[in-house]
Amino acid sequence: MTVERQDCVALDQFPVGMRVLAVDDDQTCLRILESLLHRCQYHVTTTNQAQKALELLRENKNKFDLVISDVDMPDMDGFKLLELVGLEMDLPVIMLSAHSDPKYVMKGVTHGACDYLLKPVRIEELKNIWQHVVRKNRGSNNGDKKDGSGNEGVANSDQNNGRANRKRKDQYNEDEDEERDDNDDPSSQKKPRVVWTVELHKKFVAAVNQLGFEKAMPKKILDLMNVEKLTRENVASHLQKFRLYLKRISGNQQAIMANSDLHFLQMSNGLDGFHHRPIPVGSGQFHGGAAAAGMRPFPPNNGILGRLNTPSGIGGVRNLSSPPSSGMFLQNPTDLGKFHHVSSLPLNHIDGGNILQGLPIPLEFDQLQTNNNKSIIAGNSMAFPSFPTSLPNNNNHLVLEGHPQASPSAFPGHQINKRLEHWSNAVSSSSSTLPPPGQNSNSLISHQFDASSSNYSIPFCDSTIPLNPALDHTNPRAFYRATDLDSNANVQPGVYYDSLQMRQSGNYGPTTDAMLSSNPKEGFTVGQQKLQSGFMGGEAGSLDDIVNSTMKQEQSQGDLSEGDLGYGGFSSLRTCI
Amino acid sequence: MQRQVALIKQSLFDQGYLDEQFMELEELQDDVNPNFVEEVATLYFKDSARLINSIDQALERGSFDFNRLDNYMHQFKGSSTSIGASKVKTECTMFREYCRMGNAEGCLRTFQQVKKEHATLRKKLEHYFQLARQAGPKETARRSK
Repeated sequence: MTVERQDCVALDQFPVGMRVLAVDDDQTCLRILESLLHRCQYHVTTTNQAQKALELLRENKNKFDLVISDVDMPDMDGFKLLELVGLEMDLPVIMLSAHSDPKYVMKGVTHGACDYLLKPVRIEELKNIWQHVVRKNRGSNNGDKKDGSGNEGVANSDQNNGRANRKRKDQYNEDEDEERDDNDDPSSQKKPRVVWTVELHKKFVAAVNQLGFEKAMPKKILDLMNVEKLTRENVASHLQKFRLYLKRISGNQQAIMANSDLHFLQMSNGLDGFHHRPIPVGSGQFHGGAAAAGMRPFPPNNGILGRLNTPSGIGGVRNLSSPPSSGMFLQNPTDLGKFHHVSSLPLNHIDGGNILQGLPIPLEFDQLQTNNNKSIIAGNSMAFPSFPTSLPNNNNHLVLEGHPQASPSAFPGHQINKRLEHWSNAVSSSSSTLPPPGQNSNSLISHQFDASSSNYSIPFCDSTIPLNPALDHTNPRAFYRATDLDSNANVQPGVYYDSLQMRQSGNYGPTTDAMLSSNPKEGFTVGQQKLQSGFMGGEAGSLDDIVNSTMKQEQSQGDLSEGDLGYGGFSSLRTCI
Repeated sequence: MQRQVALIKQSLFDQGYLDEQFMELEELQDDVNPNFVEEVATLYFKDSARLINSIDQALERGSFDFNRLDNYMHQFKGSSTSIGASKVKTECTMFREYCRMGNAEGCLRTFQQVKKEHATLRKKLEHYFQLARQAGPKETARRSK
């Protein structure tokens, strides 16, 4: 044993002091594991709750190098934790279990585990776990490993290569060599992770699609993308994650759209403060979208907005919350804050479109319902996300309306639309409750989407849009104008897929809805802030159309002018813009 | 005294109460963790007592939710394996088999065995640790393989 221990130390210093987070609900095992890890000279933090582990990790992504987790835990399934960690923080995770059943091992692998150890764990096995850290770093940092100097020595280059297709091995080898030379500088010990913004991801996806998903190779993708400072390694690791992600979601979700860019990005980018989540507008996420309301979170994809509106979207709002931080519509910190778990959103929400479920939105929602959306809307500047949850499907309308308020920033345009629609519906149906959910909401939704897409840029405005009840018709228009400007800026609603899918459908109508709902997560977290920074800009043209159509609607809705509800938000939005 | 301690430990192994895993734990004990093994053993008994209680209650209720029982036992087995409680582990495995078969009576019977082995081991280990402490730290230090 002593000899082995010395081996640890002898290597480059790197494995020594590696920071491990150990998670196991069994105190005995945890204690033993901790001791074993100490024996390997790692720096160990332990917790017996998965939730706590996630918190620790989210608190500071760079605090740990590796996570070891038990599979059977009472508060959260180990595999789930594994997924979350892999997606949000991109840390290597090792599973630990007393189950030697191959299907568990398989599950571990498909969920992205770097390794699967059986209990009782032996120290020999732990002595080598540092290889996973190096491997991971190589993939994403292009050769900058923690140990800096140990690149060459690491026996992982094969692993890296093996990761990709075998046939690409040679190419990788070459690339690795080149890159290793380039990156030999000791100062960049651990290169900052490349943030896959929506735009970047969009390019990535476009390149992948162009090359053909199966045949896409990092080098070619990189060339096609033509982005400076992006390395092949970055692309390779992103591609791998992307593939894993797609596989996973196609397995898990119903109607998952392969394009869950947003979701993917969210997950892969780990939602750093939601802000720049390049929410790929992932159409993928929209699946589940029950009613088109899928408000797509701000991220360029309009999806958020849409999702919020849909009943199912409401559930998705949860995901939306993540964006709050980015300033998305969640302006309502209280409400939105709940959603906020961006990190968890993406993953969780893949349940088929119920993104909003569980969103705190309650406040807003209730209000809306009671007031028939009138006053409430005005009042809810932030409650945005909350709508969905409380609203039954039938209340899409309401929800939608409610949303506008809540997420003033989110959907500026679309709120307006909604309101108009709702009101007209309401007026016509003279029902205090929402108009027939079915079609109305759908139509609303589509409008919303349109609007929202154009509005994406807007959401980022400060979410505290003080709904101004007194808003008159002109406001919306003004708003739209503003949106137009914004939209030109960069709204790329579907950054990734949206553009693919939505555009194809012309207007963001049904597709958008679908998309929106499917991607609860995307909308929210990603990127509100990103959007502002020019995320959007994709669909200027179509946005214009949307805006125009919405505007027309508004105009025709003379009655709605009262809609304090809607406009209030817009006015503020305008300011944001 | 020291010899006595060593002998006792040896007999525990010989009789199959403990297995190699226990030895691994001893390896981990050093100056930094002079009482590591004892600490872990204490933790184990505390945890497992809780589990045993839960299982007892579940069995008493008579509802025989095999899944649940199996889960408990899985946990119990996991920790028993970690400290090298060999006989306990064996009984746990049997219990789980009966669970899988849905054999309630088998479960009850085996569980009694589990408890018995568990209690026996506990006593023996307590005795062992006590002696070891008396004999001085050296005795509990790394056991030559």
